[in-house]
Amino acid sequence: MSVRTVCARRWLFALALAGAMAACGAADMVKMRVIPAGAYVPLQRSVKDAPSVPVASFLLDERPVTNAEFLAFVTAVPKWRRSQVSRLFADASYLEGWSDDLTPGEKAPPDAPVVRVSWFAARAYARWVGKRLPTIAEWELAAAAGYDGPDGKNDETLNRDLYAWLARPVPAVLPAADSLSPNFHGIRGLHGLVWEWVQDFNTALVTGESRADAGLERNLFCGAGSVGAKDTTDYAAFMRQALRTSLKANNTTTSLGFRCAKSIP
Amino acid sequence: MKTISMPHLSAGESIRALVTMLALGLGLALSAVAAEPVAACCAVEAKPAEKPDACCAAEEKPAAKLDACCEAMARDTFSKESLYQSEATFTTDAGKPFTLGQLRGQPVVLTMFFASCGYACPLLVTDMQSIRAQLPAEMRDKARFVLVSFDVARDTPAALAKYRAQRALDDQWVLLHGDEESVREIAALLGVKYKQEADGSFAHSNLVTILNPEGEIVHQRTGLQGGLPAAAAALAAAATAR
Repeated sequence: MSVRTVCARRWLFALALAGAMAACGAADMVKMRVIPAGAYVPLQRSVKDAPSVPVASFLLDERPVTNAEFLAFVTAVPKWRRSQVSRLFADASYLEGWSDDLTPGEKAPPDAPVVRVSWFAARAYARWVGKRLPTIAEWELAAAAGYDGPDGKNDETLNRDLYAWLARPVPAVLPAADSLSPNFHGIRGLHGLVWEWVQDFNTALVTGESRADAGLERNLFCGAGSVGAKDTTDYAAFMRQALRTSLKANNTTTSLGFRCAKSIP
Repeated sequence: MKTISMPHLSAGESIRALVTMLALGLGLALSAVAAEPVAACCAVEAKPAEKPDACCAAEEKPAAKLDACCEAMARDTFSKESLYQSEATFTTDAGKPFTLGQLRGQPVVLTMFFASCGYACPLLVTDMQSIRAQLPAEMRDKARFVLVSFDVARDTPAALAKYRAQRALDDQWVLLHGDEESVREIAALLGVKYKQEADGSFAHSNLVTILNPEGEIVHQRTGLQGGLPAAAAALAAAATAR
């Protein structure tokens, strides 16, 4: 094959790439909202950690990624289809609720949050649409808002909704991704819909000196992890940290989805 | 293409959805057209392509990086359990680009560390040296010993070269600097958790991982105490299984 032929074919590929980029845009129809700069106070920190982490203003999807959007992704990128994905990147229950590779089916309505996706898959989707996963600090900052203000700690309505959700079993069919009321930042479903992957989930360490791996989860789940916590009444935050700490990047669950973020240049 | 109902869209959003779905169709069609040419570009470099369409979807690959696409094609030839499927890219302490797939064909001992670590990391490197010493003599120069740094800011290739000299690490050692995304991906694949402290140091899991020549994890030694004979045995078994 001549070099010229190869170049021509590469040009054709570039053209197709532009088409694929258009496809990415098509898949991602969610509005993004600006989350103002703020400070994230970690649930727990070591003696060497700063009391709070500054978070720059960023964009966050208004709602979690839906089955319809993820369908467009796996349609365009076959290696992320249920039958083709590597077990290294997604465990055996990846997209298990879908009828088949390209049919979400009755249990996964198009507008419901996609679940049973791994961190690798969520990250790949985010890259595909030109975004990224939010960091823990970003996610928690956005989720700290109440319905009427940037600090929802004492928002009785929010707390009622949050803890009611935690007390309920996961429904067989999830509601629409945008079905919940927006918080102060205009973000829906951070609490009360599904758990969500974050970019740096694997930084979820219980102590600063995590030099004995066997102690990590023991500390967390036995409750000793609450020692030194910023707020021992923030039960939901402990739940989120417990989940992040226990997850492996290829894990999938019936109530774990994700949404995307974007930095503001 | 399946019909997708969007009951929560307004009229304006529905129009936008229709337009974008048309774009989706165009994009997929063009992707299909490009499948064969991409396979061809990789064939020029004698890299077999099992799944040409996988990279035509251009996941994460900007248009300028066509050669990188070919590399992605080559990755598809690795086993489904191989870490070498990873798209993470690194730079060696010699300043050369590096992907884990370049280790294919040799058993590997892989650890994440940071050069300024004053406690666990020096012990981990010493443990890797001990694993090597426990190998049968004829195998000691067949295995590769890989250190991937958490410290993307301070462990530059030059800093890693200095570390190599300080620890007298020979050519069987590969010291890798990566960006935040690549380091996080490798950590996720290995099951390593890490977190940067306010003073710049890192809290991290202590894991020494043994890969077979195909890049599949065959053994992990956790913590800082014991387990070296088992790690050496796993490495020797990986070397002889080739």
